[in-house]
Amino acid sequence: MAKLKTKIKAEPSLAQIGKLVAEYRGQKWALIPLFQVMQDEFGYIPPESIDLIAKALGLFPVQVQGVISFYAQLYTKPQGRNVVRVCRGTACHVRGGKTILKLAKQYLGLEEGETTPDYEYTLETVACIGVCALAPNIVIGTTTYGHMNPKKVAQLLGERKGRE
Amino acid sequence: MNLEAITITLNGREVSGQPGMTVLDLARESGVAVPTLCHDPHLDPVGACRICIVEDERSGALMASCVTPIAPGMVINTESPRVQERRKTIIKLMLASHPDSCLVCDKGNRCQLRKVASDIGVGLVEFQRIPQLATIEEVNPFIERDLSKCILCAKCIRACQELVGEGAIDYLGRGFASKPATLGDLPLEKSECTFCGTCVALCPTGAIMEKDKVYTGTTTTTVHTVCPFCGCGCGVYLEVKDNRLVRVRPDADSSLSRSTLCVKGSYGCDFVHSSDRLSSPMVKVNGNFGVVSWEEALGVVADAFKRIKETHGSSSLVVFGSSKCTNEENYLLQRFARCVLSTNNIDNGSRLYNAATHVGLWETVGCRGTTNSFDDLERSQVILVIGTDPTSSAPLVEYAIKRAVKRNGAKLLLIDPRQTKLVSWANLWLKPKVGTDVALINGMAKVIIDENMLDKECVAGKTTNLETLAKDLQEYTPGYVEKITGIPSDDICHAARFFAKAGRASIVYGDGITQNINGVGSVAALANLALMTGNIGDGRGGIYALQMENNAQGACDMGTLPDFLPGYQGVEDAQARKIFEARWGCQLPVGVGLTALEAISGAEEGKMRGMYIVGENPAVSFPNSNLVRQALESLDFLVVQDIFLTETAKLAKVVLPVASFAEKEGTFTNFDGTVQRIRKALEPFGNSLPDWEVILRLATTMNSSMPYSSPQEVMKEIAELVPLYQGVNYAKLDVKSYRLGKGQIASEKMKFSPVKYIPQPSPEDGYPLTLFVGTTLYQFGSGSRTLRASRLRKLLPEAFVELSKSDSRKLKVKDGDRVKVVSPTGEVAVLVRISDTLNQGMVFMPAFFPEGLVNGLFDIVLDPRTKAPALKTCQVRLERIEGDG
Repeated sequence: MAKLKTKIKAEPSLAQIGKLVAEYRGQKWALIPLFQVMQDEFGYIPPESIDLIAKALGLFPVQVQGVISFYAQLYTKPQGRNVVRVCRGTACHVRGGKTILKLAKQYLGLEEGETTPDYEYTLETVACIGVCALAPNIVIGTTTYGHMNPKKVAQLLGERKGRE
Repeated sequence: MNLEAITITLNGREVSGQPGMTVLDLARESGVAVPTLCHDPHLDPVGACRICIVEDERSGALMASCVTPIAPGMVINTESPRVQERRKTIIKLMLASHPDSCLVCDKGNRCQLRKVASDIGVGLVEFQRIPQLATIEEVNPFIERDLSKCILCAKCIRACQELVGEGAIDYLGRGFASKPATLGDLPLEKSECTFCGTCVALCPTGAIMEKDKVYTGTTTTTVHTVCPFCGCGCGVYLEVKDNRLVRVRPDADSSLSRSTLCVKGSYGCDFVHSSDRLSSPMVKVNGNFGVVSWEEALGVVADAFKRIKETHGSSSLVVFGSSKCTNEENYLLQRFARCVLSTNNIDNGSRLYNAATHVGLWETVGCRGTTNSFDDLERSQVILVIGTDPTSSAPLVEYAIKRAVKRNGAKLLLIDPRQTKLVSWANLWLKPKVGTDVALINGMAKVIIDENMLDKECVAGKTTNLETLAKDLQEYTPGYVEKITGIPSDDICHAARFFAKAGRASIVYGDGITQNINGVGSVAALANLALMTGNIGDGRGGIYALQMENNAQGACDMGTLPDFLPGYQGVEDAQARKIFEARWGCQLPVGVGLTALEAISGAEEGKMRGMYIVGENPAVSFPNSNLVRQALESLDFLVVQDIFLTETAKLAKVVLPVASFAEKEGTFTNFDGTVQRIRKALEPFGNSLPDWEVILRLATTMNSSMPYSSPQEVMKEIAELVPLYQGVNYAKLDVKSYRLGKGQIASEKMKFSPVKYIPQPSPEDGYPLTLFVGTTLYQFGSGSRTLRASRLRKLLPEAFVELSKSDSRKLKVKDGDRVKVVSPTGEVAVLVRISDTLNQGMVFMPAFFPEGLVNGLFDIVLDPRTKAPALKTCQVRLERIEGDG
């Protein structure tokens, strides 16, 4: 299977975070872009960065936390190198998305929102990714896999089960 | 306003308003009722609840009126069938996830959700119920949250961020899961929350409620009055049932407090119901107090005063007035001292820290206190905060400073050796060595002169004596000042430019300035800075002298001072004497009287024989408490008038019980000179009487009755005889508070007053640490009231001393160890707390512990000008107590 490029590095140090945040000092509007850059860099938004961000952008730490908690795409925990998103939208549901999710859970040994201890995989569900014609869908990283069936799921994720 | 009015059609009627108004504003102004839940006049509108929707009949659009600005030609219907139907749906959706506990919910009829539901006629909710179970476990004694009742209006969040500037809570999560939460979703006590109670007061439902109430039930009467703690003068409503306080809530209409309070105001007033309250007069016989009637008690006092006056003369009698008592009471008390006891030996506790302001500001800007209104502070572009930690000593001022910074883009210049909470708000934080403030301020002044940043118009037109000042400042070059203060010369120049270049720069100072050994000089140096940059008077910045007590300003205004008649008219001023003598029909005593501490020394030497102490606790609040206690014990006669048997009252021969702030009428004057009415909400406790009545009765018992029957009559006389209080009367005050001293600043030229930096005497060997004494948020003054407030008491820590990590390492002590704090004057044993807010060499203790714990370490060192004691810092050493823990 294709290895995807979601980065995961060792836990970033406060100095690394500080360096990144410093570029946005005083720019209140830049909160979300900063989150995105940070997530690109570290794979997630380390909770200890909240105070630094708040200070640099002139916000209260709770405001920063509030915005992070609002967006599903922002994480405060390290994510796996491969984020597997199983679509639970209406079209995918009608075409068996529920079974696809069940299989994904089995192969990865994960519940929704969980990450494997080796940070290889994170399993998520998504409400709709907009390619209902290909339903049911799985997205791994930024690549979409359509017309899923048990066999294809096994091809994509079965390797994982074998290893455990 | 030259902006053109905008006319819209509202429910078929043409109405006009100013540009910028919202549809809701205009509707309310026109007398059209629109229901709201998330709207509050003090908060930015967010349109969260949607209940205020109205219909634009041209487009058919339904829009939230609280966030829709009026536009020409709008045709608005606030009650169309669609609007009504939609409002019902909105409320039903809210009720669908709201518990059915209205019958027992303590919010009762105060619940706005319930009120709106009933107003718009929602009966049954036919939607499927989705209960939100969300009680949050909290162990703090003040606030509990039951978010199952939350309607997500964000009033609490906005109050916390916009009004209080604390930012303890914000939304967390999204959709059904969203809720107001602290950082990390922790209980309030583990967050930044200061328990000011503003969110509790603004919450429209029962989601955020007051906890551990002393008395519950439905309020029967509500009385507007003024908070009895610090000098901010917040308006409060006392809600009463069965002669008990049910709750205290902030006054939303007060221009000072605007819906906010602090933890003491919100949750500290129940000291009035403390079982320690004195209920009957007592006379000490053979060392034990016995309860007596008022007649008997006053008879004993009258006889003693007469006897002492006859045998030792009037000058052996002393009276202490109180900065906690009303203006009227202080006025009566000084009349009693001057006319009945015939002595000018009268003083009050607030003079001990206020005198520096009275003299320092008078000699420069010609003002006896704060120069500008509280509102002006928030409009400042630069705020210089020095010698105060308003976070704990004047929370309302701290809120205003934070609002100025956060919302108006003001810059904060903080001068404090301690890392206080405001540090994180400061644009520039200078940490001078202790006691070097004057050098620093002089250094800044010199930079302003040298770099020609003076406000030339103001300096030339309104002031004199700049040349002398400039000459005197010659030596204060940045390099020299750096050597004294330890602040890099670049920072000094930077601070000076920062201050001088702002259009409106204000100075806020507190007891860290006034209680220094050279308090007068420090105040004058600050005034020089304000004068040379033109920051005096309307439209510019101002000087804000913070007060520690509710009526500190008023007590001094009323002349409970040894050197001034009411309104700062000198006791030697022939014209003033004539006016008062004519009115009072007595001969006023001649010569300046003794200040409080001179009187204490006098008592120790046996020169003082009788003392009348009203609402003060010198045995705890004065320096060198052991000596003070001995002095009080050595008196022939001591009468103490108080609400509690304080440490001082225990030493008295006669104790007179008095009514608390909630049990009497009168006025308080706050730190910016606003006079406000206090009103009677409760019957006086037991047989206690209001102070004013006690003074009047005592005068009558001494055959010199004073012709007043109510505080109102006293104020009438004050308004006539005291120019400063001209125009103050109860009828006016009932409508609106009144700020004194418009034009209080003298019309004659203001004067620069050179101040020399006097190095502090180098510490005696063996006392290497500098002790700071300050306030903490949860306790007040000597603690006689806050330690008796049921909830504040729960937060009472054991007496402690804070020290820096490096000192703790040197002393080999850790958090929780016991140490002895030793000064040349005394010693106390306390717990160690290690704090990262302190520099090496500094230790901190709060002032509120009773038994004179902290003040016992201070020797009596008086300011040469004002005879006020230095009570802010002294040199100490810490000793480990071996074999402990």
